[in-house]
Amino acid sequence: MKANIRWLDDPETFRVNQIAAHSDHLYFKNYEEWEQKRSSFIQSLDGKWQFKFSNNPQTRPLDFYKTNFDASDFDFIPVPSEIELNNYAQNQYINTLYPWEGKIFRRPAYSLGQKTDRSFSEGEDNTVGSYIKHFDLDNSFQGKYVHVFFEGVERAMFVWLNGHFIGYGEDSFTPSEFDLTPYLKEKNNILAVQVFKHSTASFLEDQDMFRFSGIFRSVKLLAFPETHLMDLALKPTITNDYHDGIFNAKLSFTGTKDGYVRLKIKDINGQTLLDEEHNLTSTITIENKLLENIHLWDNHHPYLYQLFIEVQDSNKNLIELDSYKFGFREIKITDDKVVLLNGKRLIINGVNRHEWNMNSGRTITKQDMKADIQTFKRNNINAVRTCHYPNQIPWYYLCDQNGIYVMAENNLESHGTWQKMGEVEPSYNVPGSLAKWRNVVIDRARSNYETLKNHTSILFWSLGNESYAGENLIAMNQFYKSHDDTRLTHYEGVVHTPDLKNKISDLESYMYLPPKEAEKYLKNNPSKPFLECEYMHDMGNSDGGMKSYIKLIDEYPQYLGGFIWDFIDQALLTYDPISGKKALRYGGDFDDRHSDYEFSGDGLMFADRTEKPAMQEVKYYYGLHK
Amino acid sequence: MDYTNKLHIIYGDAALGVQTKKFQYIFSYEKGGLESLKINNKEWLYRIPTPTFWRATTDNDRGNGFSVKAAQWLGADMFSQCSKIHLTVDDQKFDPLPIAPFNNQFSNHEYANLVKISFDYKTTTTPATICTITYVIDSSGHATIKMRYMGKKGLPSLPVLGMRFIMPTMATGFEYYGLSSETYPDRKAGAKKGVFRVKGLPVTKYLVPQENGMHMDTDKLIITRNTSLNNADRDTNDFQLEINKTDKPLNFSCLPYTAEEL
Repeated sequence: MKANIRWLDDPETFRVNQIAAHSDHLYFKNYEEWEQKRSSFIQSLDGKWQFKFSNNPQTRPLDFYKTNFDASDFDFIPVPSEIELNNYAQNQYINTLYPWEGKIFRRPAYSLGQKTDRSFSEGEDNTVGSYIKHFDLDNSFQGKYVHVFFEGVERAMFVWLNGHFIGYGEDSFTPSEFDLTPYLKEKNNILAVQVFKHSTASFLEDQDMFRFSGIFRSVKLLAFPETHLMDLALKPTITNDYHDGIFNAKLSFTGTKDGYVRLKIKDINGQTLLDEEHNLTSTITIENKLLENIHLWDNHHPYLYQLFIEVQDSNKNLIELDSYKFGFREIKITDDKVVLLNGKRLIINGVNRHEWNMNSGRTITKQDMKADIQTFKRNNINAVRTCHYPNQIPWYYLCDQNGIYVMAENNLESHGTWQKMGEVEPSYNVPGSLAKWRNVVIDRARSNYETLKNHTSILFWSLGNESYAGENLIAMNQFYKSHDDTRLTHYEGVVHTPDLKNKISDLESYMYLPPKEAEKYLKNNPSKPFLECEYMHDMGNSDGGMKSYIKLIDEYPQYLGGFIWDFIDQALLTYDPISGKKALRYGGDFDDRHSDYEFSGDGLMFADRTEKPAMQEVKYYYGLHK
Repeated sequence: MDYTNKLHIIYGDAALGVQTKKFQYIFSYEKGGLESLKINNKEWLYRIPTPTFWRATTDNDRGNGFSVKAAQWLGADMFSQCSKIHLTVDDQKFDPLPIAPFNNQFSNHEYANLVKISFDYKTTTTPATICTITYVIDSSGHATIKMRYMGKKGLPSLPVLGMRFIMPTMATGFEYYGLSSETYPDRKAGAKKGVFRVKGLPVTKYLVPQENGMHMDTDKLIITRNTSLNNADRDTNDFQLEINKTDKPLNFSCLPYTAEEL
């Protein structure tokens, strides 16, 4: 197969040769590696890559993926990083309008009955990053199946290895994984990746944020031993009046099916609760194992059990050790429309959180994540909405460990297709009910679900943000309903199409609904629990009057709480020639037009991760219903 | 586009784009003004140009109480907003503005010879009045700017009337064909007419910072910069914006501060 740049224009082509999304379990060669948290099956490709920037597709290097290509005029760029923050392309912050507003006229393919055009494959604004990475395989990788795993690339990419086309991927915020095995060599492999800033996916990724591009999350190689656990689906549930647990799991293997699988569950003291052996088959199902006297998982006591899966060959030698930490928790809605966690009323003291670092944009580190968790803990924040895209995988592990309730949102926002000048105007809305835009959004729901399904901290699947609603949002809701009966679905955008409310979202979700309006709903025999998925817009010096929302918690059991907009300012640390010092800069400060200017700074935290003065108010009110 | 001698028009959902190879304008319906003026890919505007009604208080103003009497123009200077936009492209008048769904009929290949767009700014004075700024872009890409102020009985005397353009970065200097030194309507008899080059953006060193730097009866002004805010732009060569009089000479000041900051 050959790469085709016209895929950029086609909403029906969003993944080519990609490995199906699967669980994010960790796997090791043995217990020693597990203890050291270093897997010899993983080889990082992060670091310096060769790089060529092109202003548009017409000027991109065409043959750069070929093994005889002379890349002597390429620069070097760190991976992961944002192309813009390496100063190849202009920073731009924009909220609801598309970044090409006033510069290029575009409509989504098929939205007005028209076919695809060449708007992206020949887009004057479609900057291109061509990346080359030379690598040798680690010794432990020799002779194994090897995949390449991109954790996040904005916004569309083509991949080649040693001159051969490998695949194509969109969806900037979920992993893209490709099989490299057929074309791998021991030494001097040439991985070539071409990243386009825009494709039809741009219509689905209109989040209120700086618009970046590039390989902005880590890249690694994954090696598989002769048998590998490809997917793990855990389903721990609770029974006997919250005393006992029931453990269900489905294990899917690739490779040789000649050997054994041993599965162990241990508590935090190392006591074994379950230990059983199975003959290796493609799929192993563990059904309804009763675990007595379990500890429940919640914000105050995020108790996690350790699952080990030992994959053994026919001589019972360990060939792969898989690990997951999971908890027992139950979320449900009562007949009175109250949300219960483990039988007790759940109150969301939440924040919306963009991934942000003032130096590196959405390329954030584990240190940034840990600091944010500490800030949550210090200020009684118990929940996070991953606005408006799946976050880096380690974030969900940290939320599991720290008892943070997660609303796991899909990478979907098509705001500019249905709201203009503040008015609802959905004439060219996508995904809407357009058949050609259905698979791409279901794929986003699937990738989010399949990758993250085992995280105890995730209580809600959020279909996306501000994308209006139609048949395709219904299909996304149905996807989650047919795959997961242990969590609730969430979507706010259905407020504009109230007839669809019985098909979309388990929660009645609003953003910035004044407390009096929320009260009207709550007083009037609510049909769903009520949530403010965004409230207390914390732009600049703000956050007053929080009491008027918090008192709803005491008055209405159906009031679930809310997620403050938002956690951290999106601002960039930039040299200021006037003062000679570094200063935080926001939308419009990079000659970026159109921009929404200071609207990028809505955080409870300044971009330097210090707290705004309003944080003490949040700590106080969120402390009232801990 | 390059191959036509016409303006390329982009009928956006909240803005109108007008482009030639050299000039790119974005008129924002949301912000109510000219949001972007790019010449050879260099941005000249930090915020939309607005009418200005206030000048920094002078020592004499303080002495005779003018700034107290005229105080509501300070508010009008800072907070007056666009109340209405009028758009004509060639012979077609757009009322209402051509936003979605109306603009769905257009494409990325729309061309015209002339764009005329006016912004009415309603003053925050009591009583209120209207000040209109009109931009006419001809097929060469040059803009002619007109301003019309409707006075109103009952308003205090205007401290100043004009337009304020805020640039993204400091100018390195400016050159003009007009009067020497600093001149005012009632203080220009001693000036000589000629071409003057000014380095940087000097502020006259009055003891108390106040209105300064006015240049009356100017035929032509050229402002030079060599830096931009575009993080991807490493070019340090000079680039210029040229402003010419239309039927009457213009008056200007080119300062590193707004009237409020002085």
